[in-house]
Amino acid sequence: MIRISNLSKVYTKGRNKVVALQDINLHINKGDIYGIIGLSGAGKSSLIRCINRIEEPTSGDIWVNDINMIDLNPTQLRKARKKIGMIFQSFNLLYSKTVFENIAFPLRLDKTPEKIIKEKVNSLLELVELTDKIHAYPAQLSGGQKQRVGIARALANDPDVLLCDEATSALDPKTTQQILNLLKTINKNFGLTIVVITHEMEVIKEICNRVAILESGRIIEEGNTIDIFSQPGNDITKHFVEQSQELPEEFLKGNVLNLSFMHGTAHEPVISKVVKTFNVDVNILSGKIEFIQEKQIGKLTVEINVEPHKLLDIIKYLEENHVRVEVMKK
Amino acid sequence: MMYWVDVLMLPLWETIYMVFVSVFFTVLFGLPLGIILVITDQEHICPKPVLNAVLSYIINITRSLPFIILMIFIFPFTRLIVGTTIGTTAAIVPLVVASTPFFARIVETSIREVDWGVVEASIAMGASPLQIILKVLIPEAMPSLVLGTTITIINVLGYSAMAGAIGAGGLGDLAVRYGYHRFQTDVMIATIIVLIIFVQVMQSVGNKVAQIINKK
Repeated sequence: MIRISNLSKVYTKGRNKVVALQDINLHINKGDIYGIIGLSGAGKSSLIRCINRIEEPTSGDIWVNDINMIDLNPTQLRKARKKIGMIFQSFNLLYSKTVFENIAFPLRLDKTPEKIIKEKVNSLLELVELTDKIHAYPAQLSGGQKQRVGIARALANDPDVLLCDEATSALDPKTTQQILNLLKTINKNFGLTIVVITHEMEVIKEICNRVAILESGRIIEEGNTIDIFSQPGNDITKHFVEQSQELPEEFLKGNVLNLSFMHGTAHEPVISKVVKTFNVDVNILSGKIEFIQEKQIGKLTVEINVEPHKLLDIIKYLEENHVRVEVMKK
Repeated sequence: MMYWVDVLMLPLWETIYMVFVSVFFTVLFGLPLGIILVITDQEHICPKPVLNAVLSYIINITRSLPFIILMIFIFPFTRLIVGTTIGTTAAIVPLVVASTPFFARIVETSIREVDWGVVEASIAMGASPLQIILKVLIPEAMPSLVLGTTITIINVLGYSAMAGAIGAGGLGDLAVRYGYHRFQTDVMIATIIVLIIFVQVMQSVGNKVAQIINKK
């Protein structure tokens, strides 16, 4: 559906050059909700803007629906953009126009007949549950309502792809949840491919089936969300995955292990078995079970005070039982 | 009472005629000019740095000249267009020349105030530059443009008094002839009162209209 190859973006201001993206390669399948996560300044915004060429890539190719966006002239590009919806962190609605006119805006660009506009806008308003706000102005709406208008507007041209630029970052947790549910519904019902960029791991966990981690303009890890979550491959990824599991230094005295339970092991009493089999004391420091797209991942931080050779046996036993083990401190 | 009406009526009408016809042409030329100033900027929808720099330079030059000097300086141009340099219609030419760059700068500021995010969203929706100008930039900046036009009207009123002093008629001419040459202070005061009322009415109407169309 979307294929990005060797994409680079360099900003030049006077003599200064800032590399925002380098050598990005991505493949997004039809029907994916694809998450791109990174810290501020990692290049997320530039990446998503290169997909519809709101920002001009410095080099590389971007294929959307088997069309290389880079090859298009301005007229063709405008036509291609109509099939790529986009929503924004700051909503970017037209403040001088009503909800109806905002959603009708993309249709009016093509001189769509008034009757069709009316039908389309009304059905979109029903989808985003804002029928009663049809004549309101954006200033009269809450953040969540504004974003729903943004979504309806982005869907007006029946796009194949929806780009979400930090779409929930300005919203409170409850509203974020509603918007994410709406995106999930749209993805399911219309088979719409969605690309999400965010700095919030919760968003990725909630809706994305695949995720890429962006750091200093490079993709450092990419894969199924569930895999990345259970086995983060490097420090930045761990930072996102385990940000809520940091323990104070004084807890990390003995042999501290980080355990990840996945694929059916999350509900097995492995720890209890370890205690019985090896006759050791296991001190649980922290733990939780996370649900990633309806799949469970158990995260447990434990302290086991035994001799090193016995510890190795325990780690071996745990790994045989499909528990991923990471030694934090010996 | 009738005396005042007789004395004031014609100059007032001349002033209103000069101001509104001038403002009409000022908006006609200044609005596109101001929009071009914004969109040809390096970071905007239609980057043309050279054109942008040249326009900006010309505007600055025109705005450097005090109106009374500009008016005399462009007499040949005025004669070319209306055939004379004397009278109310002739004054419209320098008034437009002087206030167009002024208004263009005001338009520029108003259009720049439109949130770039909204422009970006329109680009993402496949809008052409012309559609962005007509359907996004102008409507979104409208309240600010209305206030800017109000300022321009009042500004042109001030210019028109200077034009009056050198043969354009209107309230400026009246004030010079009666208040200055004939020492008729009462006419002077009457002129000032009329001017104050005119400015107050213009500003109130402008504010009201801007308030009504501002949905932000």
